[in-house]
Amino acid sequence: MTITTTDAPKSRIDLTRPVLWLFAAFMIVLIVLPLSWLMVYAFTDKARHPTLQNFVTLFTDPSFLDPLLTTAIIATTSAVICCIVAAPIGWLVSRTDMPGRQIIRALVTASFVTPPFLGAVAWELLAAPNSGMLNQLYRYLTGAEDPLFDIYSLTGLIFVISCYTFPFVFVLVANALDNMPGELEDASAILGGKAWTTARRVTIPLALPALVAGALIAFLQAMTLFGSPAILALPAGFHTMTTKIWSLFQYPPKLELAAAAAVPLLLLTILLLQGQKFLLGRRGFSVVGGKYGAPRPVEMKGWRWAALAFCLFVLLNPVFLPYFALLNAAFSPNATTLVTPSTATLHNIVFVFTELSSTQLALKNTVILGASTATIGTILALVVAYVTTRRVIASHRLLGFLATAPVAVPGIVLGVGLFLSYTRPPFVLYGTLWILLLAFLTINLPSAYQQLQAAFATIHPELEDASRILGATRLQSLRQITAPLLRTGVIATWCFIFIGVMRELSAAIVLFTSQTKVLSVLIYDLNESGDLAAISVLGIAMLVITFAVVLAVNRIPMFGGGAGARLRNS
Amino acid sequence: MASVDLRGLTKRFGSLAVVDKVSLKINHGQLVCLLGPSGCGKTTTLRLIAGFLEPSDGEIHVGDRLVSSRARTLPPEQRNMSMIFQSYALWPHMTVTENIVYGLRLRKLDRDTIAKKLAAILATTKLEALAQRYPGELSGGQQQRVALARALIVEPETLLLDEPLSNLDANLREEMRFEIRRLHDEYRYTTVYVTHDQSEAMTTADLIAVMNGGKIDQLGTPEDIYARPESEFVARFIGASNVIKGTARDGNHVAFAGATLKVVGAPLTAGQDAVVAIRQHDIGLSTQAPASPENAIKAVVTRQVYLGAARDYMVEVADGTSLRATTPTETNVQKGSEIWLTLPPERCRALSR
Repeated sequence: MTITTTDAPKSRIDLTRPVLWLFAAFMIVLIVLPLSWLMVYAFTDKARHPTLQNFVTLFTDPSFLDPLLTTAIIATTSAVICCIVAAPIGWLVSRTDMPGRQIIRALVTASFVTPPFLGAVAWELLAAPNSGMLNQLYRYLTGAEDPLFDIYSLTGLIFVISCYTFPFVFVLVANALDNMPGELEDASAILGGKAWTTARRVTIPLALPALVAGALIAFLQAMTLFGSPAILALPAGFHTMTTKIWSLFQYPPKLELAAAAAVPLLLLTILLLQGQKFLLGRRGFSVVGGKYGAPRPVEMKGWRWAALAFCLFVLLNPVFLPYFALLNAAFSPNATTLVTPSTATLHNIVFVFTELSSTQLALKNTVILGASTATIGTILALVVAYVTTRRVIASHRLLGFLATAPVAVPGIVLGVGLFLSYTRPPFVLYGTLWILLLAFLTINLPSAYQQLQAAFATIHPELEDASRILGATRLQSLRQITAPLLRTGVIATWCFIFIGVMRELSAAIVLFTSQTKVLSVLIYDLNESGDLAAISVLGIAMLVITFAVVLAVNRIPMFGGGAGARLRNS
Repeated sequence: MASVDLRGLTKRFGSLAVVDKVSLKINHGQLVCLLGPSGCGKTTTLRLIAGFLEPSDGEIHVGDRLVSSRARTLPPEQRNMSMIFQSYALWPHMTVTENIVYGLRLRKLDRDTIAKKLAAILATTKLEALAQRYPGELSGGQQQRVALARALIVEPETLLLDEPLSNLDANLREEMRFEIRRLHDEYRYTTVYVTHDQSEAMTTADLIAVMNGGKIDQLGTPEDIYARPESEFVARFIGASNVIKGTARDGNHVAFAGATLKVVGAPLTAGQDAVVAIRQHDIGLSTQAPASPENAIKAVVTRQVYLGAARDYMVEVADGTSLRATTPTETNVQKGSEIWLTLPPERCRALSR
């Protein structure tokens, strides 16, 4: 070779900063605008004069204090239950030789894609005090008069919420354990660490960030959920913060109080996020780099089948029983009567798809919104996660905060913030799908951002540096190096948002109009009118769509089906 | 051509100056090692040169271009540099070939040129057989060679290496050391090499800049650094030196342990404290008093170890100072014996710091 020197790539204009500032501006519009209106309403009276009266009312009136306390109990209990249940299952599935690990993963995913309000309806079918199928069975077997379960209670509500929140924790824990090189455990074992010592000193601390992050998400999910409490708590005669806020929007609306009620939730979330940072400290949890072998599964020996039985028993509650109830209701003339071949009917299905006028429209709207929100949201979260993990611009903390902030805003409050922002010029979006798109985007951004940020943290920054020093701009590096390495995370995030849109009810319930109805709103309407059979049919249709979309996304060629093998050592 | 010139380069994180007013001129085609213990600021200096960091103060010039200053920092992709990272940073989703030709593709070279250059570099780095593998399927040494090939194929003006050999086993490390030097001699890039391993620096560098606490402690050829250390830090960090603390008699004599040592190096002031360095293998050891009393000190052997090629002695002189001496194996003295040490005047270097 000669000593000729190839020129460096032509110096192009660096678009990085303009593009980033554009994203920052968009984020500000997306989040700051509705939140500003929220604050304006929280700190003013009806004539928009500044006042603190809303907060005085909030913290003195028992009808506000009780829901606050109830919400705290529900969120804490659910988060704890989720961790207790999800962490062992995550470990069993990821690190042991338990039989049927793939099936358990799939089943957890199934409970994850189940919208919580649908789960709540299914548990109405199962455990309503009088008509519930489990209670019928109990009475039949024991001859007792009283029901065994009452789903319309605080315990019932916590149970149902946990059923559909624990997958958040599971996914994070299982991923963390999947990505953890087995040698880290082997290293402890060879130094004399017994299985339990290794677990306590190495495995658990390494999985701890994921578990804490999962607990945090579970807590926030339980805190901001609207559907399940609306279905289960209202008939039981108590409120959570979200249903209370919703009730404040009913005629006559008290928007100021509702806005004020959201402020403690916002503050609590900021506090939690700070706490998480403090807990995780500054230790590096990135384990990519060097050469690692495949993890060595822990041998369960005689406990293998007991472990499987445990997993299946847990999954009875979010998956088997509810789906059995829904399928039964879909084909039964009476929603809570056990269907037999002679009584099976297609009447419910025919009714939903031909007679119920809003079905087709709601289906179409949901799919359009799901796909577009997932695509835009993933791109947005990708850019923000990149900026914050790589500290690209000085204001990266602000961007990260903006992306996380919506998690503290109950969907219903965000809905009103958006309602207030976009019913006045220059942006009149109310009555269009755009306003729902904005709502869903904002709601799903925090979890999408957290997922991708975690994914970024596992990619060594030197991989990007190497690309840049060879002449790639920041955007080129992002596209050619980082994006392919993030492939799995990106697909997961896309599906995550799509599913998030399918299950979203709380903002939609404020923002929908007759032309922009979505499936979740339709189901809530049907629950009000007591048409549980139609809900079952719609719910099953919804899940079929979800599975179809998730499967299709995983097959897209650019994401490469066989590419997984290449990454097995990375 | 592409000289690299650091002028008063400073990088502060908060109030801590990690790189503190570093000035260093590297001529075209020179290989300079930044050598120092971890935390001395050598990697930060390298990342400043690469453009991954913006300086808090000072300037970096490459050739006649100003590439970094407080006001403006040219992004890494416009610097026509290459870098080899400690982690190698091979992209796990690309094959060896894809990794290597990445930089050429960015330069929009045509297919034939790329193929030709690829074939040449694969031959140079002995990677032909592995071209279609993924990095995850390679051994550490093979990964290292891919990283080298990827950095060299773009024929950069400047090559930066960040502890490139620290993940390799000893044999391979020695082999790659000479390999890096050979490739440097072949292509003559201006090279900045960061390492904490002094023998790595000795065998590869034209110039060594020993760094400590964010500053360059001493800059010189490997021979300068080894034979003529200027500071206690350099004397201790490079090679195995004894550091003797005494009092200056005049410009080149030091009182130490009841004897007077004639020294070279930094001029001394009578009556002041003086620090003198001497290599372990430069100290002579005998059981009889030497013919000339000049630079001879009485001592007691406190430890003796047979190393195969030499003997390693630990001795104690009258004032309690312990010195180490490495002697030929024939010099065999038992522990506890009284002996005489000879410290050749031309090997006793008075240190200025």
